[in-house]
Amino acid sequence: MTSDRRLALGAGLLWGCMASLPASPPSDFRFVEVAAEAGLDRVLLAGRPGKDHLLDSAGAGAAWIDYDRDGHLDLYLVNGWRLEGGRVVEKGNNALYRNRGDGIVEDVTERAGVADAEHWGSGVAVADFDGDGWPDLFVTNFGPNVLYRNRGDGTFQDVAAEMGLQAPGWNTGAAFLDADRDGDLDLYVARYIEASLKDVLEARPTLDWKGVVKVALGPFGLPGATDRFFSRDGERFVEATEPSGLTDRARGFGFAVQAHDFDDDGDLDLYVANDSDANFLYRNEGGGKFQEIGLWSGAALDANGAAQAGMGLAVGDVDGDGLLDVFVTNFSEDFSTLYRALGDAFFEDASRPSGVGPASYQPLSWGAVLEDFDSDGDLDLAIANGHIYPQVEEHPDLGIRYRQPNLLLENDGRGNFTDVTGRAGPGFQQAESSRALVAGDYDDDGDVDLLVTHLDAPPSLLRNDGEQGNWLRVECRLPSGSPWAVGARVTVTAGGRRTVREIASNGSFLSAHDPRLHFGLGTASQADRVEVRWPDGTVTRLDNVPANQRLLVVQATEQTQPGARTERR
Amino acid sequence: MNNRILCSIFSLLLLSGGVWAQAPADVTSVPPQLVDSYDSLADTILGAKRTERNLVLSILATTYNHARATYGQAAASLEADRDASAELEKLAALVSQLGNEGDAAVAAVRKRLLEGGHHHNAAGEQQGIYDPGFVIVTRAAKKTFLDAAREIGRLSRSPDPDTLRRQWGEVSAQYASLIRDE
Repeated sequence: MTSDRRLALGAGLLWGCMASLPASPPSDFRFVEVAAEAGLDRVLLAGRPGKDHLLDSAGAGAAWIDYDRDGHLDLYLVNGWRLEGGRVVEKGNNALYRNRGDGIVEDVTERAGVADAEHWGSGVAVADFDGDGWPDLFVTNFGPNVLYRNRGDGTFQDVAAEMGLQAPGWNTGAAFLDADRDGDLDLYVARYIEASLKDVLEARPTLDWKGVVKVALGPFGLPGATDRFFSRDGERFVEATEPSGLTDRARGFGFAVQAHDFDDDGDLDLYVANDSDANFLYRNEGGGKFQEIGLWSGAALDANGAAQAGMGLAVGDVDGDGLLDVFVTNFSEDFSTLYRALGDAFFEDASRPSGVGPASYQPLSWGAVLEDFDSDGDLDLAIANGHIYPQVEEHPDLGIRYRQPNLLLENDGRGNFTDVTGRAGPGFQQAESSRALVAGDYDDDGDVDLLVTHLDAPPSLLRNDGEQGNWLRVECRLPSGSPWAVGARVTVTAGGRRTVREIASNGSFLSAHDPRLHFGLGTASQADRVEVRWPDGTVTRLDNVPANQRLLVVQATEQTQPGARTERR
Repeated sequence: MNNRILCSIFSLLLLSGGVWAQAPADVTSVPPQLVDSYDSLADTILGAKRTERNLVLSILATTYNHARATYGQAAASLEADRDASAELEKLAALVSQLGNEGDAAVAAVRKRLLEGGHHHNAAGEQQGIYDPGFVIVTRAAKKTFLDAAREIGRLSRSPDPDTLRRQWGEVSAQYASLIRDE
């Protein structure tokens, strides 16, 4: 019997055990708003008050990035512009906040050179694209994109033009991935609609909504923009959308995109959330070629076969079966959709039986995070909400608000969710028109905190002060020193449960999470096994890893001894 | 609407001033020449709608025939205990296209029509029978096709001739029902 066969047999036995996973007891969640005391004060601009064009209301992303590699998560915020009528009155600066490590951040935007005020910002992805060990920032724009190469001295340089990545248009979500497994990172960029700044400035609310109010037109009635794929070719990126099989022939209204190994065959596939169109699932066929299988894999439409208004994404194993499930946020008065994985990149819509759909029906949802917020061993779900039509405030009879509370849904360990927003602490009781939602342990206390952006307001920083089970934070460091091991798959087995997570350059709605993976262990005092499958397919295994520690796993190279080099701190 | 039709309408409008001028002062009805022209245009508009229906029927027929041939190949492969995964995935893709009234490129055309305000089955959409822009395939039929497509696709990983036969039976019956209703 080969070692692979033995592994497969072991996994099969483990899954058999997990079918009878006990439900986890309800937890005490508590999130507290600390943005102001931390010093997060940048107002994120979003067009006109009336949101006359969809660009006014789309919002922008945010990223946790330890740009100076001091061990503390720093924060990057993407910003839009402010309009009045048909005029641009303020071009918002993006912001980089350095985390001092004492709960206070300092604005280092100017010093770092990452303001990008000349562009209306959209999304962000983080990865070490040049392999020098320093995390870089890719900022998508309504206009040319920006690739900020991290010089490693606290400053960045925009190299998008020389790298071939400017690609003007309304760019939205972006995901780095090593599509062809040649050792360097390629890039997928989703795009929304074809529109010029003139179109935006001249837009007026013309769409009759529910027969009572005129609102911004779209996305129907506006031409969809095709997504793009850029392959790394030597020193530059070259557009390789068509030869890679990634041609967006449906001209979908693309928002979020994520790269994960949905069929667990060792290479990264792509999932794209489209607004009002079928979502895409591009299966990686190897060699950098993809096939779109969304419709027949069950991942493109809802249970009724209807296309929904896909906005944001969260990917994680919600039911402990070792498979990556997909959660897609959608428009108000519609379920956000949980696509439960069936294996081999097949999915079924489990929104109703899981409880996720009914809980998410009323709000208009954007960012989403699957994280174990109480460290009890399963992934809970946080959702950022906010409407795009401020005009609804003038019609209370509609029962829809522009500013909406965000949602926290607790997982019972079997993939069944309960709305616990009401007992999630004061941080979840505020109402804004929220967009990005990003997860990271910014205060290094072993639990997962949240950053939320809102239209025309400073962001919220929701510190997690809730009760926690045991936990393990796993940082996968590449030989270059970068923690952005995009595509690395970490499997933690503890207390009879096996949890699979992957590192991605981006997530949620046009944003990027902490690349250090959090694993709740519940009452288990150790992880029986931690296994890291690196992007190149090599595997590091660690047994009997004590709980409640930040585990650093460094990929072994030919220069290091065979096996893992593991540091604990 | 093509340029020729636009030119015709423009010409009619130019002529209309003269037509009104020739009409007796006490007559308030629209001049018959204009009504005739409009009637003619109605033929064109309604004809275009019929053409759209026929075109979509052709797309469905082509896709179905392709799917039927692929089903035969897949079933034969399974019968002979050969690897049928490629054929099964191809069949799954084709069946999903039946549900989607064509592939992604057709969906883009449909979206363009919607952007222009054209809903072939506007009333049916209001009643929840059709998805926006769909011409032949009802929501219920779409679901049948898509569910079958997924199950056929899954057979590529765990082949089972009986399941394939059953799923194809559902696809065939659904297709026959749609065509019969036309």
